[in-house]
Amino acid sequence: MTDTVAAEGVGDATLDIPANPPRRALGLHRELSRVWSNDRGWRGQVTAVNHTTLGLRFMATALVFFAIGGVLAMLIRAQLATRQGAFLDTELYNQIFTMHGSIMMFLFAIPMLEGLGIYLLPKLLGTRDMAFPRLTALGYWCYLFGGLILLAALAAGVAPRDGWFMYTPLSSAEFSPGINADVWLLGVTFVEISALAAAVEITVTILRQRAPGMRLTQMPLFAWYMLGTAAMMLVGFPPLILASVLLEVERAFDWPFFDVARGGDPLLWQHLFWMFGHPEVYIIFLPAAGAISTILPALCRTSILGYGGIVAAILALVFLSFGLWVHHMFAIGIPHLALTFFSAASLAVAVPTAVQVFAWIGTMWKGRPELALPMLYILGFFLTFVMGGLTGVMLAVIPFNWQAHDTAFVTAHLHYVLIGGFVFPMLAAAAWWMPQITGRARIRGLGEVAFWVILIGFHGTFFVMHLTGLLGMPRRIDVYPDNPEWEVLNLTSSVFGFVMAIGLALFALDLVLQATMGQRAGRNPWRAPTLDWAMSLPAPTFNFASLPGPRQVAEAAPDRTALALARGEGLLPGAPRGQRELLVTTAADARPDHVAVLPGNTALPLVLSASIGAFVLLMLAGLYALAPVALVAVAALAWRWHRGLATLAAGGAMVAVAPRLALPVQPGRGRSLTHSGGVALLVADGTLFAALIFGVAFLHVVAPGWPPPPAAAETATGAVLLVALAVGLGVAALAAHVTEARQPAGRSLAGWAVLGLAGNGAALLALALLAGWVMDDPTAHARDALRGVLAGYVGLHALICALMAAFVLDQIRRGEVPTSGAPSGWRLWQDFATATGLVAVAVVLGTAAVA
Amino acid sequence: MTWLPRALIGPGLWAVGFALVYGLHGLGCALGWSTQEVAGMTLHRLAMVAAWVGTLLACVVVVMWLPGGPDPTRRLPRIGAWIGLGATIFTLLPLLVATSC
Repeated sequence: MTDTVAAEGVGDATLDIPANPPRRALGLHRELSRVWSNDRGWRGQVTAVNHTTLGLRFMATALVFFAIGGVLAMLIRAQLATRQGAFLDTELYNQIFTMHGSIMMFLFAIPMLEGLGIYLLPKLLGTRDMAFPRLTALGYWCYLFGGLILLAALAAGVAPRDGWFMYTPLSSAEFSPGINADVWLLGVTFVEISALAAAVEITVTILRQRAPGMRLTQMPLFAWYMLGTAAMMLVGFPPLILASVLLEVERAFDWPFFDVARGGDPLLWQHLFWMFGHPEVYIIFLPAAGAISTILPALCRTSILGYGGIVAAILALVFLSFGLWVHHMFAIGIPHLALTFFSAASLAVAVPTAVQVFAWIGTMWKGRPELALPMLYILGFFLTFVMGGLTGVMLAVIPFNWQAHDTAFVTAHLHYVLIGGFVFPMLAAAAWWMPQITGRARIRGLGEVAFWVILIGFHGTFFVMHLTGLLGMPRRIDVYPDNPEWEVLNLTSSVFGFVMAIGLALFALDLVLQATMGQRAGRNPWRAPTLDWAMSLPAPTFNFASLPGPRQVAEAAPDRTALALARGEGLLPGAPRGQRELLVTTAADARPDHVAVLPGNTALPLVLSASIGAFVLLMLAGLYALAPVALVAVAALAWRWHRGLATLAAGGAMVAVAPRLALPVQPGRGRSLTHSGGVALLVADGTLFAALIFGVAFLHVVAPGWPPPPAAAETATGAVLLVALAVGLGVAALAAHVTEARQPAGRSLAGWAVLGLAGNGAALLALALLAGWVMDDPTAHARDALRGVLAGYVGLHALICALMAAFVLDQIRRGEVPTSGAPSGWRLWQDFATATGLVAVAVVLGTAAVA
Repeated sequence: MTWLPRALIGPGLWAVGFALVYGLHGLGCALGWSTQEVAGMTLHRLAMVAAWVGTLLACVVVVMWLPGGPDPTRRLPRIGAWIGLGATIFTLLPLLVATSC
């Protein structure tokens, strides 16, 4: 009772949490290492769920893909060095430039930023791990397996060849037979699971795991940037996932979403792709900007200028970047007014970008910049990114865009933005955090040489490419026999391209030398003020022997903090219960809320991702009838996954965090990390549904070939079944709500869980009857295909909710419901499934009435 | 209301207004609103301008409703509201000049 009072008191009083008494640091270290370390030997390689291990693994794998993408770039430059290059044939060239773009975007840039976030965020925020360690591991394995599928296709000569944006109808079955396009659609979607997983856990970690006292308005800017990035990933990736699913369904089953002759429209692909594709630029840029905002003030021996302005700029970028996508489609014949909306938004987005650049320049102005290696790369970033931003403003102007559209000018612009805005800051970040990662200091000299070689190589390659584009050279051509005026410029780009490659190889060599031969680094070699340096180097798997509290956060003195935390003077010291524990705090003001117990090492993520991979491979092989078997395995493993969570949640005891502060292990309703993660995931799911509704509206309003012939679904039988579907989902929602509200009652809830199961079952039955007896052939017209997809979406969610109801029933049987979060999770998903189901029914009935 | 939604409401209003006007643009072109005159302008432009003005008014209300002050916790949501207002004015300003379909 005393403990409870103490815990509640934290929410009301100012955050003055007393320190724990000092203990022997080595003893604490050993105690924590026993609990948090990876398994030994090869088993540890497959069962690790720790964020330090997986963050590094993400980044190392991304660097390997970067090297492969770079080799492909060199092949492209070798081919283009002369007018009639015979180095590659057209088919191989198409595969190589498609894979170069796809690898750099999906297998290098995004995983690299995920890895950086996963590695750094817990350290910067003062916690021990990400919110969902198994999800981190699942994301990594999905990324690795998806990437390997793409690489295997390249090695086998069946790699995608339709450009990294896979425009239809070129990528449709008629013009792209074989599995090349399927490899992209399925492989990239597989990889995107890791992006969504990372986005969910980054969001939850930043909002719920900051050190007590670290208010949102005080947290390190890197966390703000990553929060913006994660939010953009949750909203940006679903349109691409939807587009990939639709195109794959069209290719595999002939449902005509993009086929003009049957009511589809290739422009739907472009819209969905660029709804992802443009925010993607900012998804890549924001973490890089976060690294700059972290490194720059420390190297200038000052604080960042305009913290609030930068946060506001991030806010503006996150939103405005979703209003630009049509500027990639200026040449497709969109009415002037619509063009001007997107042109204006494209110009407006330069303002928050400029706010950040001026804040960084101002920070340098007020401080004393030290020209260390990371600073060199930041200066390289300024030069390159500002030039790329300015050509971006040029391309936002419609008449210029029409002139430069699809030329090498755009290729030059995007490389200035992406290499300037991401690669240079990442090289700065690597130089900055290598002592943190390896515990070793850099060997001076080689890194500086590498910087100058990279900078000269980059600008030599891409500056002249602007001119090549302005002279009219289109993108993605392999020979240009009739245009001798492009040859010298191309040859120049090729020569400097190899120079840049040499520079990057030197940089890699520098990293290897530092990791293997560098001298021991001091604890905080850069004298940085952030918590990522308040630990021994290299970082232990648990980061902090005791967690930083309000005092340590306010001090911003890692050297002093590190010693206090290592001696257990922070919060929640050691691992006395033999569990992986961390503090969960409230979202805005970071007040201690409860103690979360995280799962330990397990191979479950590997097995689950392998099952998803089996589904992808079966689809690629055209074994569509067998593919659902893999999904059954996925469902069974997901069940087991959540059984693990239920076991962890059992207990509900209070845990001593500090003198006079004890917190519950079992949070109140809606306050668990799992609940927060569920909300984040549903944001992504809701965006996918919204994109699908956009697709329905777009084809109805814009596509040729409408209105379609009258459909059978508009019959009375169809209407009755739609009502039955809505009623079934409504009943299930009622059951879920009652179960959650009466959760402490335990066993008496079985009837409600059965009712929920029955409601979802009835909805599925209604959908099956609609599909089997009422709905028209989905290959006949896009209207019928869209209805099929809506039915599939609603059915999938009803099935998931049925499984969740069954899971709750199982927990009731085991007597675990009173302490379990499962009823809350089911209620959340059931509400979503019911709401989207009702919207889908309304859309079908509404569009039928309009027709 | 928690802090984060308050910080997001301004840009969120812009997103809603921008999507609404763009949606009305596509719908109006498809339904032939640009040929129907109402109150001295086309029905199409009237619908879009109404949505724009509605969004602007909502943004103004939010700017006035949110408290200001030197404390970043209070200041940031208000800056967010100004961002929403500024973006709504600038990105939809072409409504006054360009031909609609």
